Amino acid sequence: MGVHLNVFAHLVRNTVKTHGMPSARQVFVPTPLMNSSPAVLRGYVEGDDPVHERPFMVEVFDQLTRPVPDDELRGEGWDRSTPRYVEADGEEEMHALFQVHRYTDFLPVVLPTEERVERMLAGTSHPPDEMVGKLRPTIGMEHWHFDVERVAVNAVMAGAAPEYFPVILALASSGDTGRQSSMSSMGNMVVVNGPIRHEIGMNSGIGALGPYNHANSTIGRAFGLLSQNLQGGSVPGETYAGSQGCNFSYNCITYAENEEASPWEPYHLKYGYSVDESTVTVSYIWGNVWAEYLRTFWEEKLVAMISGLEPGMGCTLVLDPIVAREFVEKGFDTKEKLARWIHENAKIPQRRYWDHVMLNLIHEEVESGVEPFASYWNAPPDELIPVFEPDRINVVVAGGETNGHFSIFMGSPMRAKFRTNAGQKAAVSIDAWR
Amino acid sequence: MAKFRVLNPEGYPPKVNARGMAPSLDGLDGKRLFLVDVGFANSDNFMAQLRGWFEEHRPSIRTEVVRWRNQHIPDPELCERIRADGDAAIIGVGT
Repeated sequence: MGVHLNVFAHLVRNTVKTHGMPSARQVFVPTPLMNSSPAVLRGYVEGDDPVHERPFMVEVFDQLTRPVPDDELRGEGWDRSTPRYVEADGEEEMHALFQVHRYTDFLPVVLPTEERVERMLAGTSHPPDEMVGKLRPTIGMEHWHFDVERVAVNAVMAGAAPEYFPVILALASSGDTGRQSSMSSMGNMVVVNGPIRHEIGMNSGIGALGPYNHANSTIGRAFGLLSQNLQGGSVPGETYAGSQGCNFSYNCITYAENEEASPWEPYHLKYGYSVDESTVTVSYIWGNVWAEYLRTFWEEKLVAMISGLEPGMGCTLVLDPIVAREFVEKGFDTKEKLARWIHENAKIPQRRYWDHVMLNLIHEEVESGVEPFASYWNAPPDELIPVFEPDRINVVVAGGETNGHFSIFMGSPMRAKFRTNAGQKAAVSIDAWR
Repeated sequence: MAKFRVLNPEGYPPKVNARGMAPSLDGLDGKRLFLVDVGFANSDNFMAQLRGWFEEHRPSIRTEVVRWRNQHIPDPELCERIRADGDAAIIGVGT
């Protein structure tokens, strides 16, 4: 029997149905759970199940002991399919239908007619029926699969040009979703590296992270649309659980690294690629803090900025080239040295390090004795612990040098153990999808 | 009148395979229930309160709180232990 929060009643029913056991025993308690006192939690136990509208414990006893008909005990399976075409009376009705089916982000889309999809397919050498990958809203939910044509449909809807299609296919193949169903409402950051940045005219300069470039805008939007449609939806309360949602999700913060103005190696070399290769890297992002220049007390400020982030999630520094060169002048002649400095200097007390959802994410490592987390767990409460490990500190250079500004985003590529495609690098080859 | 037709943007869902449920118990007295803390924040305290209720109101039902190793992935070792030693499990809190 499962116990869930009442706000997830629809999600729970959907999930057990798609797992072939629609009659699975479920009971519900009120929201919230986190930070509720023992007295409140006892009240949940002694109070009503808000979904079944009966006393919680009566429901527990009833569901565990009530005879279940044989057909319900066997569960229920069935074939599902999504037809190749969608039909409506006209274009206006089709736009309305796309909204009803939640195929859009509620901004206008380009309707994916056969002619438009065919033009998009010309942007790759891969056949329309080649399978690209699989996606799901979050861990524990079912994977949906998709081919090149279905990705092209979403690319058309986003308004992308055919020459962007290899980037979009690489994103689709990554196993990363631009519509992650996390209660924490994470968004994404998409960084493009390599020669394709210039081939398709991406912006890495002035306004790179803003709505000022066709490729940046539509590739990011395509990533979001393909994610929600190819993974089986992103519907609040059913396949999306983000309490507040994330405005980053409209475009997934999609931009190119300013490799030419950067004093350091391009970002994708961290993942074993060369400067001649084109890649795209997806991060999961919760928010950002901003600063300018490395002023007199820059070290104190940088430590404060990092220390305010939630530990363990990783961080991504997006530096204007001016700031990147300032770091070089201070001795950080590689991104790795900067990451190491942050690891060694941005620390918080052990008690605060573990006062966080992080505990749930890496508790398995602690139990298994994986370092450094086992030592962090066993450290005294006031011992200072690095907020982030060096490999979770990312540095990207972007901006047009109008001033020395930078942002630090909380978030990083998905941890290896949670990646959809086991063993896959965080950066995905675009060249493989040309 | 001819319909306006476009291509479907959805992916391909997997086939749903029926999964059997365990039959219901004929009663809980004398049975052993595992109360499984899946690891989401405060699930441990909820399970402690649930166990407290059983001890106060139905002491003939034996309960044990256990923790799922990873909140995102089933714990096969724990599942095997519950199958071997328990009569039922209450798993939560799903958030």
